[in-house]
Amino acid sequence: MNDSAISNNPQELTGVKKTRRRATLIVISGIISLFFLFLISLNVGAYPIEIGDAIHQIWQIIITGGNPEDMSGKVILNLRIPRAIAVILVGAGLAIAGAVMQAMIHNPLVDPYVTGVSSGASFGVVLFTLGGSLTGWAFSFMLAPIGAIAGAVGAFFATMVVAEAAGGKAMSYVLGGVIIAAGLSSATTIIMSLTADKIHSITGWMFGSFADIEWADVCIIAIPIIAILIVVLLEARKLNVMLLGESQAQYLGLDSRKYKRNMLMLTAVLTAFCVAYCGVIGFVGLIVPHLCRMVVGGDHRVLIPSSIIVGSVVLMVADVICKSGPIGELPIGAITSVVGVPFFIYLMMKEGKRYAM
Amino acid sequence: MPCDDEKPMLDVKNLAFSYTDEETLKCIEMLIKPGEFVALMGPNGSGKTTLMRCINKVMKINNGSVNIDGDDILSMTMEDIAKICTTVPADTPLDFALTVRDFVSLGRTPFINSLWWESDEDEAIVDKAMWDLGITKYSERRLHELSSGERARVLLAKGVVQTPKLMLVDEPSAHLDIKYKVQVMEILKDLTRRTGLTVLIASHDINLLTRFCDRIMLLSKGKILDCGLAKDVVTKESIREVFGIEVELVECNDTLYILPTGSTMNIQ
Repeated sequence: MNDSAISNNPQELTGVKKTRRRATLIVISGIISLFFLFLISLNVGAYPIEIGDAIHQIWQIIITGGNPEDMSGKVILNLRIPRAIAVILVGAGLAIAGAVMQAMIHNPLVDPYVTGVSSGASFGVVLFTLGGSLTGWAFSFMLAPIGAIAGAVGAFFATMVVAEAAGGKAMSYVLGGVIIAAGLSSATTIIMSLTADKIHSITGWMFGSFADIEWADVCIIAIPIIAILIVVLLEARKLNVMLLGESQAQYLGLDSRKYKRNMLMLTAVLTAFCVAYCGVIGFVGLIVPHLCRMVVGGDHRVLIPSSIIVGSVVLMVADVICKSGPIGELPIGAITSVVGVPFFIYLMMKEGKRYAM
Repeated sequence: MPCDDEKPMLDVKNLAFSYTDEETLKCIEMLIKPGEFVALMGPNGSGKTTLMRCINKVMKINNGSVNIDGDDILSMTMEDIAKICTTVPADTPLDFALTVRDFVSLGRTPFINSLWWESDEDEAIVDKAMWDLGITKYSERRLHELSSGERARVLLAKGVVQTPKLMLVDEPSAHLDIKYKVQVMEILKDLTRRTGLTVLIASHDINLLTRFCDRIMLLSKGKILDCGLAKDVVTKESIREVFGIEVELVECNDTLYILPTGSTMNIQ
């Protein structure tokens, strides 16, 4: 097939040069499609805007220095653009969280959702927002990212302790994650039952939605997400080494236990920022790296950039679908799960045996 | 046997190691010259793999010292060690859509200074190793598509591109058929003769070790019982003591082979 045809052709680039060219191609084509999706997402929503008008309004925003006069200009500036940026960041972030977790735990069937990180973040957010009303603290959604980080890191730490005590195999992580997630979900339910009069503010979040994203939220999540993405990009070669497994990575001079712990913690923080404002969005972290691996192979120097791009594109498509719902918005977390669950089942049946699940 | 004027490649003195209270390895002494092909022979659980993990510092030794090419491993980082000592594992890891070439290139890891890409020099080393081991044609294939024999050569290629002085090989032939078992040993022997690489190989395949290795170290219950030429170390008595089975010795083309004629029923 394709690969053998390539290797038979002596003119073809080999090794790193070929990988490098493939990486460039994917990033460029991804950025182009992302640009068009960005334009489409500016049009779609409760207040439809024509594409010509949208481009005109962007020009207006630029020349007025961020003070457009028209209604559609205001919608684009204050609702559509921050929302689109958040979707791009979160899509990229979740995909990378999944990719790194898969490399570290050494199993391509794990993601932040499976390992309990997302449930931890949910619990943290619910505790910090709704829990405040129980104890009489100020009820503030600004606390959401702090709650999400504390919850995600805490939940992942618990999963890791359980999993490493049980041998550190991928299976241990999955089981540990399921148990921790089950416990945290019950705790979340209890808090929500106790604050039944306030849960309307959080139900949208629980199912995942970008509807309420504002510039302030985007600013808070953008810096940490971009910073962690850069760190992961810089670590791409070491992620390849970790694919050999903990002990073989040690033979190549990498302190793999420490490295694994640090990278997994970084992943938990990344997930936390991704879910802090837009809620739990499952399966992006699982599916995107997997799709990319099928197309570009397992080399993280290609896989990470392409997962960033494809993650953004996938979530952007999902968000446009959510916005074009006939009666109001659809929850994006539900959309990704509807697509993600059959895909996961397919992967499990096809590849589960090979990965000793 | 080791000449006094030559610096040993591997010098282990009074090494002790334990996972728990019981000592897994005790009083290990080893002296291996550059270019030697030395076998670590012993039954399952005798400490072969653990000893290798102590030599490459994956495990921290409790007592004694390990010197590789004159340097004490305690004063070296894992990366320093990876530059002179490679460990070839028994099998390739799980498939992660890595191509054979991606996998072999990972052997260059300790030498890559740039953040991302291998240099042209690294590429040339990878190309040559793959060519020498006859796996160039599998370059773009995925690891799990290869047969065990091909995978064994891929693993060796990854070890070779690490340009080591000392190669630790752990059970390379456990699930290979007889042709590939011999092939792996021939490749290793050729490396020691042609490039001066020092190889320490752990295996319980006695006949392969007696045929190919320069010296045999007999390891039993964490101790080195004997060390020397195959004909001196591999005797009916020593095999009975270490492996717990009666054997007949046969000599063929100047090589000693064992035939496991005894039964395990009448022992213990």
